[in-house]
Amino acid sequence: MKKKSEALALQRNKETNRVAFLFLIPVAVLLILYIFYPIIDAFRISTLKWNGISPNTTFIGLDNWIKLIHDPHFWSAFKNNIIVMILSICVQIPLGLAMATFVEYAGKKSKLFKIVWFIPMLMSSVAIGFLFQYALATNGGIISSVSSLFGGGNIDLLGNPDTALFTVIGVIAWQFTPFYMVYCVAAYTNISTDLYEAAQLDGVNKRTYFAHIALPLLAPSLKSAAILSMVGSLKYFDLIYVMTGGGPGTSTELMSTYMYKMSFAKFNMGYGSTIASGMFLVITIISLLTMRLLNGKGEEK
Amino acid sequence: MNPEYRLSRIKSIISWVIAWFLAIFALFVALLPFFFMVLNSFKDKFEMLTKGVFEFPDKFYVENYTEVLTGNFWHYFLNSVIVLGVSLVLLLAISAFASYPLSRFNFRLGKPIYAIIVACMSIPVHVTLIPIFKMTQNMGIYDSIWALIGPNVALGIPISVFILTSFMKEIPREIEESAEIDGCGKIGMFFRIIMPMAKPGLSTLAIYNGVNMWNEFIFAYSLTQSSANRTLPLAIWEYQGQYTMNTPMIMAVLVLTALPMIILFIFASDRLVKGMTAGAVKG
Amino acid sequence: MKKRLLRFAAIALSVMMIVSLAGCGSKGKSSSGGGDADKTITFWNIGAEGVNKVLLSYPVELFNEQSDSGYEVEFVATQNDSYKEKLVVAMSSGECPDMYTSWSGGPMNEYIESGFAQPLDDLYEKYGLTDRLMEAGIAQSTYDGKIYAVPTYNISVAGTYYNKEMFEKYGLEVPKTISELEAVCAKLKENGITPFALANSTKWTGSMYFQLLAARYGGLEPFQAAVDGSGSFEDESFVYAGEKIQEWVEKGWFPEGVNSLSEDDGQGRQLLYQDKAAMDLIGSWYTGTLKSDSEEFYEKVGWFPFPAVDGKEDNLPIALGTVGDQFISFNCEGDKLDAAFELATYFSSEEAKAKDIENGYLPPTPDVATLVDDPISQQVLSTIADATAVQLWYDQYLPPAVADAHLNTCQELFGLTTTPEKANEVLQAAMQEYLDEK
Repeated sequence: MKKKSEALALQRNKETNRVAFLFLIPVAVLLILYIFYPIIDAFRISTLKWNGISPNTTFIGLDNWIKLIHDPHFWSAFKNNIIVMILSICVQIPLGLAMATFVEYAGKKSKLFKIVWFIPMLMSSVAIGFLFQYALATNGGIISSVSSLFGGGNIDLLGNPDTALFTVIGVIAWQFTPFYMVYCVAAYTNISTDLYEAAQLDGVNKRTYFAHIALPLLAPSLKSAAILSMVGSLKYFDLIYVMTGGGPGTSTELMSTYMYKMSFAKFNMGYGSTIASGMFLVITIISLLTMRLLNGKGEEK
Repeated sequence: MNPEYRLSRIKSIISWVIAWFLAIFALFVALLPFFFMVLNSFKDKFEMLTKGVFEFPDKFYVENYTEVLTGNFWHYFLNSVIVLGVSLVLLLAISAFASYPLSRFNFRLGKPIYAIIVACMSIPVHVTLIPIFKMTQNMGIYDSIWALIGPNVALGIPISVFILTSFMKEIPREIEESAEIDGCGKIGMFFRIIMPMAKPGLSTLAIYNGVNMWNEFIFAYSLTQSSANRTLPLAIWEYQGQYTMNTPMIMAVLVLTALPMIILFIFASDRLVKGMTAGAVKG
Repeated sequence: MKKRLLRFAAIALSVMMIVSLAGCGSKGKSSSGGGDADKTITFWNIGAEGVNKVLLSYPVELFNEQSDSGYEVEFVATQNDSYKEKLVVAMSSGECPDMYTSWSGGPMNEYIESGFAQPLDDLYEKYGLTDRLMEAGIAQSTYDGKIYAVPTYNISVAGTYYNKEMFEKYGLEVPKTISELEAVCAKLKENGITPFALANSTKWTGSMYFQLLAARYGGLEPFQAAVDGSGSFEDESFVYAGEKIQEWVEKGWFPEGVNSLSEDDGQGRQLLYQDKAAMDLIGSWYTGTLKSDSEEFYEKVGWFPFPAVDGKEDNLPIALGTVGDQFISFNCEGDKLDAAFELATYFSSEEAKAKDIENGYLPPTPDVATLVDDPISQQVLSTIADATAVQLWYDQYLPPAVADAHLNTCQELFGLTTTPEKANEVLQAAMQEYLDEK
């Protein structure tokens, strides 16, 4: 009897491994070709002095890495990335959750809201950059006009190094919050409807239901959303490149825009690849650590 | 009437009023830029420069649209549709395959593999440009729309697997166990139980990746060169020069590019709502 | 069973490795041309839109019709912003097109040093191109004593476009010196008009003020000395330039939020069209831009070269700009190179020149002045004819890393977030780093 169940378990184990292997093959092939190979190549190039196009390269060992560690531009870009990350997580996810919750509670009438709210996500960065450039203009822009109406005078948002980064972060939030809304709407559908009905029968009001039943059930999804937002912000590129190009001066430079300019405009592929590899390491470490931290907490509960 | 009940009733009404007010405000914030994009697509180039972006045009200048639509637009559109269709189906299938063992199985390599895939999310896109360009050349698919499918799928995988795994983890064990008792194998389980249950996650992914692929720009311009193989995001090139750009025309292209996605979203979000059962409707 | 799994993994991995390695090994077999690669010349350029498209593709049409070289040209146009990156990606994999355009200067030198451009002195001789192109244009195509490129269709020097009606209204004269210019600005400002329509989020727009102020103050020697390492960007003429810019910013002579306005989006010339600003210091391609925006407005526009610093009138005839923008370089050999070069000669054919002028552009040929009747273009050309030297824009001339430092520090000058001394120190440090690494 005991032997039989052991054999069965073994067989099941075998099946598990075989199926797992089978199901993971396509991902493995694609990741090796399109991600492992490029990143390993980037690490290789980071040991070279190379302008990116010449057939001649010089091996310089860790010189680029030493330079990176002492490069104030890289660290100020890193700091900007951290600001983008913190604000993105703190703004986009709560807003997305609020919108999803509204859609969830308001029922069918809210369908229109969901569609319209999603529109920013569908606009290309070129259009967003252009329209906000005008909307945020110091003279005649929307923000300035509102501020002048209340006697505040014109405000230079994008041209001022103290405000430019925060302004672009606002625009980024405008574009990406809808994604977290859709994400949270999907997470809501995972919660069994029986729970809501049971809670209603018990006379639990909506607020209590949200705080004590829905939110804990949404927590794992929200954690994943935080990781997504974190990784996304740490390698963010698009709107910064379109709207400020890293300026004024270098006040909105991010790691990715710095890396891009170094590799493709300043003909320093060796150092550009070092920045990229550095980014890769930093982001991986931060995100894996955060995941461990978040999951650890979850298990304690 | 019970005063306590009345108080909570009033509270509830007030919070709904505030919620609706904020929701409508957010509606405007989300819609206004799109509205101005449409508005400016009906302006003449000089009119936009003299009157500014936020004024109504004197007359609706439809020529922008006729010019765009009689140009190469439909060709690019077709290319975009093919690339999007093929890439999205492949991406969703492959990610679902991978997420299944990662979320539901208990095997030794599971955690390290998951960590590696998460690490892959950290790769800066621009690093992959040159290696992928070389690979595409060597495969002999450079300057064809098929060159875009590989990077579209591969670079979407890490995030998709990450999201889908977290969705699949939420599926209750009991369902699986009862199916197992009925003699359902691991593979059968995937198709009969897990895939249907993961629909909300899959539609979220379809929306997210669909939008990204539709607007994908970097690979489209580095892996193709002839205009026969361009996708829609490259269509704005035709109105963007060294020192000037024809902004209203670009707006027209962008409106036409966004429209199919909006229609698709309405459709896709309907499916999302269908996944959502009675609770929402009653609320 | 674990063993088997491992074995599977090992096999799969090695197969993939082989595939990707084999991929790397077969480098250079395929050509970026496609089709009959031997008889097709691939020509990469920025002619994706409007005027650039017309002026770059027209000579190609002429070549395809008239040439008996037996070669066909594949015209590959990429939009300006992504073009440099596309070139780097292709060259990096050894897939450089047969001919391609560039802005000359720093990036072109990188292409040459990496072996992606052929010296053309013999071909210039063979096709008699030396006489058909302006000397200054050939000078900007030269590196290390050899010619590596062919200038094409766009002479552009920096100068000031101004609203003639507005000048008349306030009784203003065209300024000849900086102090006269300052008087004009003060008067305009009094009347609620912004003197300069500068949009500087683009960075290279504001850089023109810096370059011209420095050149008018100390001539070109300080710049050349800074570049070859014998001098420094901390020279007084660069300090003067920075100080003047900041003085003018403080007086409100530039638009509010100047560093947030984008030239690409037309936020600079919009101020001219709305009668909010009176002058715009910019390259002379603006003639074509203004004309294509509105012929009516163009009637109101006049032009003058950037005025002299008082007491330093000797430096007035220095021009700043590009003589034949979009320089074509070649990466092919033998017959193909000959045919490709023949194509480049069509850019200075009579038909092509006429086309350029019709579109408001000035081809870099010695006889161009006789072909143009537009008054502003005439003025621009006589400025170039009288020029003692035509300095290529700093941001194109300098090594790319130094150019980037210049653009950033210059933008910070306009934002008043740095001092002229500090800005020049940073710029000099970038220059020094480049020289040291060389």
